[in-house]
Amino acid sequence: MAKTSPAGDASTNEADPITKAALDLIQRELPDAVVASESGGKHPWIRVKPESLRAVARLVRDDEGLAMDCCHLVSGVDWQADDELEAVYHLCSYAKKPDAEYRKRTPKNDPWLCIKVRVPRGAPDVPTVMDIWTGADWHERETFDLVGIRFTGRKELRRILLPEDWPGHPLRKDWVTPATYHGVPIVPPEGL
Amino acid sequence: MSTNGRSTALTPSEAEPAHELHERQLLVGRDLRTEEMVLNIGPQHPATHGVLRVVIKTDGEIVRALQPHVGNLHRCAEKIGESVPYYQWVPYVDRMDYLAAMCNEHVACMAIEQLGDIQIPERAEYIRVIVAEVQRILSHLMAIGVYGLDLGAFTPFLHQFRERERGMDLLDHISGGRLLYHYVRIGGVKRDLSRDWLDELDAFLAAVEKRLPEYNLLLMENRIFQERTCGIGVIDRDTAVRWGVTGPGLRAAGVDWDLRRDAPYSVYDRFDFDVPHGESGIAGVLGDCFQRHWIRAKEVEQSVRIVRQALAQMPEGPVMANLPKSFRPAAGEVYVRGENPRGELACYFVSEGKDTAYRCRCRGPSYSNIAVITEVAEGVLIADLVALIGSMDIVLGEVDR
Repeated sequence: MAKTSPAGDASTNEADPITKAALDLIQRELPDAVVASESGGKHPWIRVKPESLRAVARLVRDDEGLAMDCCHLVSGVDWQADDELEAVYHLCSYAKKPDAEYRKRTPKNDPWLCIKVRVPRGAPDVPTVMDIWTGADWHERETFDLVGIRFTGRKELRRILLPEDWPGHPLRKDWVTPATYHGVPIVPPEGL
Repeated sequence: MSTNGRSTALTPSEAEPAHELHERQLLVGRDLRTEEMVLNIGPQHPATHGVLRVVIKTDGEIVRALQPHVGNLHRCAEKIGESVPYYQWVPYVDRMDYLAAMCNEHVACMAIEQLGDIQIPERAEYIRVIVAEVQRILSHLMAIGVYGLDLGAFTPFLHQFRERERGMDLLDHISGGRLLYHYVRIGGVKRDLSRDWLDELDAFLAAVEKRLPEYNLLLMENRIFQERTCGIGVIDRDTAVRWGVTGPGLRAAGVDWDLRRDAPYSVYDRFDFDVPHGESGIAGVLGDCFQRHWIRAKEVEQSVRIVRQALAQMPEGPVMANLPKSFRPAAGEVYVRGENPRGELACYFVSEGKDTAYRCRCRGPSYSNIAVITEVAEGVLIADLVALIGSMDIVLGEVDR
């Protein structure tokens, strides 16, 4: 791809201006919120404490420079080795247009911002951001459905893609496909 | 037919004019609430564009509350993406938004290439843009025609198939498939374009340019079409952005945003094209069903422009990069999005250095585009709900993935 710089290129280590601005803002306003961050490379991110997530979300949404007015996607990742689940928020702004310089950047030329939180697998409670970005509603339901992260403080966290009585969360790494569902074989006799 | 039916029981002088009846019904709905009834539409209903089920609470003809039920077409695309090697997953992407398979492949391959730091030949980038824009034309032609069908205009639906058929033949001739192609692959595209194919493409573009004004005349200039769409299902800027509506829905709400121009991927930064947004100036108000339809019609024109420029600029050379047999990207993450006909498709990959992804996540634009109707459908008439769902142009394969 024309936009991608090869691994080891000096530009890979350059900080992403949007992530850097968000990091500075969060560290200034909420000094205890950030757990870890990566501001360069192809996929910069900021990991915050679950209890600070809502405050961070409001901060990046309401800040005039960032204006992250849209929650583009919520994903869940099962880090089984660490016994943790991770909720990943990709945010973007339709109020702010990236300047021409930003568009030429490598390796990340797309002005999104990634916020992550990690919670223990045993108690995967993440506060909802549905009231901050309405669109997070269905994404949170899907993440609950497939990965099993419980979003707290929101209305009806129901399954959305799978049937209501489906056992477990299939995108967890320890999930085993059951042999049958209501007596109907899921895995055919000859195997997958 | 009952002989006591209303049309025979009332003489013409007693009968109320249709528009007065309509207004009185609205008043009954607002001030004098009648008994509420729960009505199920779908999952197998032509107006829901696939297997969408919507449960509405009605008060007479007015929708008071609405709950879409999705998931009927869930085929575990993400689970499969975490079980098969990257290159085997690409054909599954076709099956998400099956009306825009080339665009899906383009975004998915870009994400995997970015993950694995793969450089692809320049000619392949141009071919990808050409096939993606042809796909956009086909997808929008379908959306334009079917939207007329939703509102009772059967003719444009049949006419658009004439051009759509030619376009599908085009994509068939390079890929071997009519709907699902697996033509764009990791590292480039499957095969080069032939001289014959380029002539065929020219003829197709000319046909689209010739016929599009006819469809616009049949629909957008049509009084009935205008009355069914203008001021109906208004999604304003704030609502669209809050819900994550993208594509024509977002631009119809007045947001001047197109990833192809504002965060250009592939070689889109080398083309000159406009981003239609806001009001059409023909009829209707900002963010209504009419503007969404108009945006699609305008985008077809822009896609023709992009394809012509791409054809003129396209360099000679290979169309596939040399790739190792076993593809194992280094541990890391990518988030890549692209402007599909229906909005922004995004792929999020987490790699642990294996040949399969540790986490494979897709954002289908239709998923967010249909979620918004839970808010905007309150208070509309049932017939207008059909107009609203049709104007969002959803593909359920992409909602459920």
